Amino acid sequence: MNSPLESAVLFHLGPIPITQAVVTTWAIMVVLVLAAFLLTRRLDLRPSRRQAALELVVATLDTQIVATSEADPAPYRGFIGTLFLYTLVANWSSLLPGIDPPTAQLETDAALAALVFLSVIWFGVRSGGVGGYLRSFAAPNPVMIPLNMLESVTRVFSMFVRLFGNVMSGVFVIGIVASLAGLLVPIPLMALDLLTGLVQAYIFAVLAMVFITATVEDGKARTADADPTNLSEQKDI
Amino acid sequence: MTINWWTLGLQAVNVLILVWLLSRVFWRPVAEAIARRQDVVQTMLNDAKTAHDSAAAALAEVGTTRAGMAAEREALLSEATRKAEAAAKAALADASRQAKTLLKAAQTTAARETDAARAKAAAASAALAVDIARKLLGRLETAEVQAAFLHLLVTAIDQMPPKDRAALLKAETRVDLLSAVDLDAAAKAKVANAVGKALGGAPELNFVTDPDLIAGFELRTPHFVLRNSWQADLAAIQKDLKNAI
Repeated sequence: MNSPLESAVLFHLGPIPITQAVVTTWAIMVVLVLAAFLLTRRLDLRPSRRQAALELVVATLDTQIVATSEADPAPYRGFIGTLFLYTLVANWSSLLPGIDPPTAQLETDAALAALVFLSVIWFGVRSGGVGGYLRSFAAPNPVMIPLNMLESVTRVFSMFVRLFGNVMSGVFVIGIVASLAGLLVPIPLMALDLLTGLVQAYIFAVLAMVFITATVEDGKARTADADPTNLSEQKDI
Repeated sequence: MTINWWTLGLQAVNVLILVWLLSRVFWRPVAEAIARRQDVVQTMLNDAKTAHDSAAAALAEVGTTRAGMAAEREALLSEATRKAEAAAKAALADASRQAKTLLKAAQTTAARETDAARAKAAAASAALAVDIARKLLGRLETAEVQAAFLHLLVTAIDQMPPKDRAALLKAETRVDLLSAVDLDAAAKAKVANAVGKALGGAPELNFVTDPDLIAGFELRTPHFVLRNSWQADLAAIQKDLKNAI
């Protein structure tokens, strides 16, 4: 069994080493895109069971986004939903024999965390402008600027470490147990790994939404504070 | 532990591509399908609300119209009642007036008929009385009665104007002397003597028997009648009774 801390390079594309995690991710991408394309070919006003299930997924995701951000879910739906789906499928790919989940590799989780970090900046700037995003670091007061800047990195780092630790440990434990106790004993652990993968995907997506919302809300609040025309409205509130 | 930065970058790009692809083929189409259905449902709800509002407005209009009809009906009923009461009052007054007129006419007619009946009854009574008297007096044709009537005749002649007495004595004048019964020669002579004496001459008397006289003597010429009989008396009495009624 290879160390989960090392990436197994399958081949090179020029100078670029292609690891198993990358190939597995490509496979997951193909499966997800093909499945989405096939499932969404005929969407009608009178939904079939298939369409109703798809709409249930989207509606549930929108509900979660609205519950977290109290905003229109449309701008965040694609990123947060894809983040959740990819993480979930990647976590559950460990159930296939001979497949190591991409999320059990440092690079994949780091890439996801980096995307969350960048998405926070992107949505923060898009909502309140560059000034609004930068002012969000001064919430609740300028004294917190160093801590907020440090937090913006550490919280993403904690996400990355949490996801990596949970998935990698599950794979590692199952591998050890399977090497020691044969075929049937790991089954309960694999079932637990399913639950862990679902929970970690959910936590990762929800935390990403929380971070984005916090930045957007802080940027909006600071922008509103700086706008004297909003004083009367704030008094009313 | 080492991090393969190529792999990190590739995975980040992979996830970004997946985000873009799934947004295009999954999240957006499904969300648009939901939004489209929501729009359709909202449109249906709006249409239903519009229809409901229209129905409510129509119902309110019907209610207003019904209230107007009820008010108009009440007004028409009031007007009809007023006219009916006026017509009934006028008809009652007219009927009362006609009844009074009829009653008055009936009273007049009844009074007239009563008077006529009374007059008729009185006339009948008078006629009956005269008839009774005639029958009774008819039994009194005696010499004393003749003598009394002869005396009355002489008295009447005496009370005549001399010109009339002279006219009765003219030779060309035929004087009928009517009696109720046939007179014998002595009686005729007595009567002729008394009449001639009263007239102051000797008239040519033509003795005629007329039982209708009942009793008495009368003188008649073509131009003169001297009545002196029960018949004349009864006729006078009957006339007086008739006039008295």
